[in-house]
Amino acid sequence: MGLTGSIILVTGASSGIGRETAVLLSSLNARVVLVGRNRERLGQTLSGLSGEGHRVAAFDLARTEEIPQWFRSLASDMGPMNGLVHAAGKQLTMPVRFVTPQATDELLRTNLSSAIMLVRAFCQKNCHTATSSVVFISSVVGLVGRPDTSVYSASKAALIGLSKSLAVELATERIRVNCIAPAFVQTEMLDEAREMLTPEQYKALEELHPLGFGTARDIANAVAFLLADTGRWITGSTLVVDGGYSAR
Amino acid sequence: MTREEFLLELDTILDLPAGTLKGHEKLEKLEQWDSTALMGFIALADTNNGARVSPRQIVNCSTIADLLSLAGVAGSSS
Repeated sequence: MGLTGSIILVTGASSGIGRETAVLLSSLNARVVLVGRNRERLGQTLSGLSGEGHRVAAFDLARTEEIPQWFRSLASDMGPMNGLVHAAGKQLTMPVRFVTPQATDELLRTNLSSAIMLVRAFCQKNCHTATSSVVFISSVVGLVGRPDTSVYSASKAALIGLSKSLAVELATERIRVNCIAPAFVQTEMLDEAREMLTPEQYKALEELHPLGFGTARDIANAVAFLLADTGRWITGSTLVVDGGYSAR
Repeated sequence: MTREEFLLELDTILDLPAGTLKGHEKLEKLEQWDSTALMGFIALADTNNGARVSPRQIVNCSTIADLLSLAGVAGSSS
C-alpha cells in the first residue's frame, strides 16, 4: 500500500480505533507516533506494534494553543510526517434538554478544535512530506440523525465540513484530507454508551446495523486505504464504513 | 448548590412538581426514574457540583439520598 517508511501520527492511540489503526499501520511498515493523554496506555499500544522507530507522544489535545509548537517539536525529532489520523474524541449521550454549555464546549474542544489545530500544525514548514494525507474519524451520526447525540453528532458533522474545506485549501500543497464515518464499533466507547442503555435498547442498536457491530480493524483498514497510495486521488470525501447503518 | 436546590433540580428532571422529592424516596418506586432521567442526573451532577459520575455508580444507588451523596451535595446523607 506504499506506507513503508512513512511516519504517521495517530491521536487517540491508547484505545479503540486509534490503537487498532496504529497496529495496522505498523504492520504495513509505517512508523507511528502514538498520541494520547495516558502514557501508560500508549505504552501498551506501543508493545503491540510491529517494527521499530515508533514514538509515544503523550499530550492532552485539549491544550489546543500548544499543539503547533508541540507538533513542530515532534517533526523536528522524527522528520516530516506523511500522515495524520485524528481518532481522539469524546462521546456524549445526552438528551438536548440536559446538555450544558460546559459539556458542549469540552466536547467540541476535543473533537473539533483539536482537529483544526492539528491540521494547522501539520501544515507548518517541515512538518509534512511533499505528498501527505489527513484522516479524521467522524461518525455516521454526523450524517444521519440519532436521538440523544446532538452535541456529538454536531462535532462529527463539523469534521466532514472541515475536511471538505481543507481538501480544497490544501490541494496545492498535495495534502489530502478525508473523513471516515463509522457506525457503532466494538470499542471502549461503545461499552461506555452501552452503560446508558437498557439491554433492550442495546439490542435494538445492534439491529440497526444490517451487518452487526463493526470492529476497530474494519475502520483501521479504511484509514490505511486513505493514507496510502490507494487513496492517491481521494480528497474531501467521507468514506462511510458502517455495516449498512445509514443504508436503511 | 444546596441540598434543597439540588432536589428541586431533580424534581424538574423527573417531571415532578417542585418540592416533591425529599431525599428518602426509593428509586425503584419512582416511575419517572429511567435512562433519560439518569442522563439528566449525570449532567446535573457535573454542571452544578463538578462531580463526574458514571452509570455504573448510579446503578448502586437505591434512594434519592444516595444520588445526592454520589453527586457530592453538601448536607446529603444516605
